[in-house]
Amino acid sequence: MSVGYAAIQWSKPKRRYDLIVGLAIIAYIGTFMLVSKMLWTGASAISDEVLILRALGSCGFILLHIILCIGPLARFDPRWLPVLFNRRHLGVMTFFIALAHGVIAIGYYHGFGTINPLVSLLTSNTEFASVQAFPYQLLGVVALIVLFLLAATSHDFWNKNLSAATWKRLHMSVYGAYVLLVAHVALGALQNDRGLLGPIATVLGVCTVGVLHLLAAWRERNRDLSSPTSSVAGEEWIDVGTPAEIPDDRARTVCAPGGERIAIFKHNGRISAVTNVCAHQGGPLGEGAIIDGCITCPWHGWQYKPQDGCAPPPFQEKVATYRVRISAGRVQVNARALPPGTPTDPVSARSEAANV
Amino acid sequence: MQTLAELSLLALLAYTLVGVAFGIAFVLRGVSVIDPAASTAGLGFKLTILPGCAALWPLLLVKWLRPKRSLRAGP
Repeated sequence: MSVGYAAIQWSKPKRRYDLIVGLAIIAYIGTFMLVSKMLWTGASAISDEVLILRALGSCGFILLHIILCIGPLARFDPRWLPVLFNRRHLGVMTFFIALAHGVIAIGYYHGFGTINPLVSLLTSNTEFASVQAFPYQLLGVVALIVLFLLAATSHDFWNKNLSAATWKRLHMSVYGAYVLLVAHVALGALQNDRGLLGPIATVLGVCTVGVLHLLAAWRERNRDLSSPTSSVAGEEWIDVGTPAEIPDDRARTVCAPGGERIAIFKHNGRISAVTNVCAHQGGPLGEGAIIDGCITCPWHGWQYKPQDGCAPPPFQEKVATYRVRISAGRVQVNARALPPGTPTDPVSARSEAANV
Repeated sequence: MQTLAELSLLALLAYTLVGVAFGIAFVLRGVSVIDPAASTAGLGFKLTILPGCAALWPLLLVKWLRPKRSLRAGP
């Protein structure tokens, strides 16, 4: 959160995060080079250019897997949230590693001929119908373009000016880039790899990403289905449970009939509701906590006051709020979202109705 | 095939050159028009968003040229 823009909003945890990731990348590439040189000697020795190419490519591919796994993992275990917190920096680093891999690959495989290396890249292999000889490099190029767009628009300026929804849709294309890169690896590096480590690691990686996403979706779906609604005088009210079932300074989330998730918080014995979607990057507010009297998004720490969905001054972000009531001892939330920043009256968890 | 590839790359180069030129103008002038919060931002911020401005220049051009609604306008 900020009232102005800076190139990078550094903080001590972010610096530490980036330092650790940077050192891990250097350690991985160094280890990869060293071990490969020890394994492949004599006639089967691999040139330094190809080794660095493979080291960078595999490093970027592993980082992309980590990026894609962080979201679902953080939903299952909040200990992953610190890794999620700075995911954008991880994404930008992944792009630069992929760029280095791409530049070296084009230079090494296409840079020594008489025609432009980029023209050579586009025209030297047109075996699109072949599995064995498929021009897999083009898949990598398209994925690199997508990663560039994601890295170039990772600043909060883009989130605000493209609109949060458009930004989110754009950044969901990381899954498209991932599919292209899996195909790039499967049709490229793995075709030439005589060992089993590469194929096994790739299959394990794809399965991990897929299973984690399916489990996270299944868990959310189950949670959504367990939200009975009642319609009174044309208004739909969703059952949340008893006040005691909402943990202090935490939330329960329910799903409105239209699909919108609502986070119902309890703070100082009072219950209020806001949309589950953070105005920043669509983070799940309901998985956050109330810190210093404000709902705090678990992803990047953006804050909103529970009673009106407004960020504390001087910040200006707002999220939609919802009316809450207690009927027959159960908390109910109105399914209709109020405009972002609309004040509501939080209901007391200790009210007479709550004790019925 | 080679001609098509060369033409595609030429088109991409033209798009990029226009984008970079637009991007420089945009980060110097336009960014504070579409987003007043950027008016006090430093050079580091402008350099950070420049690649995105060069890539998405048609979108930003439309936003820059679109007349801004007055915040004081009544209902």
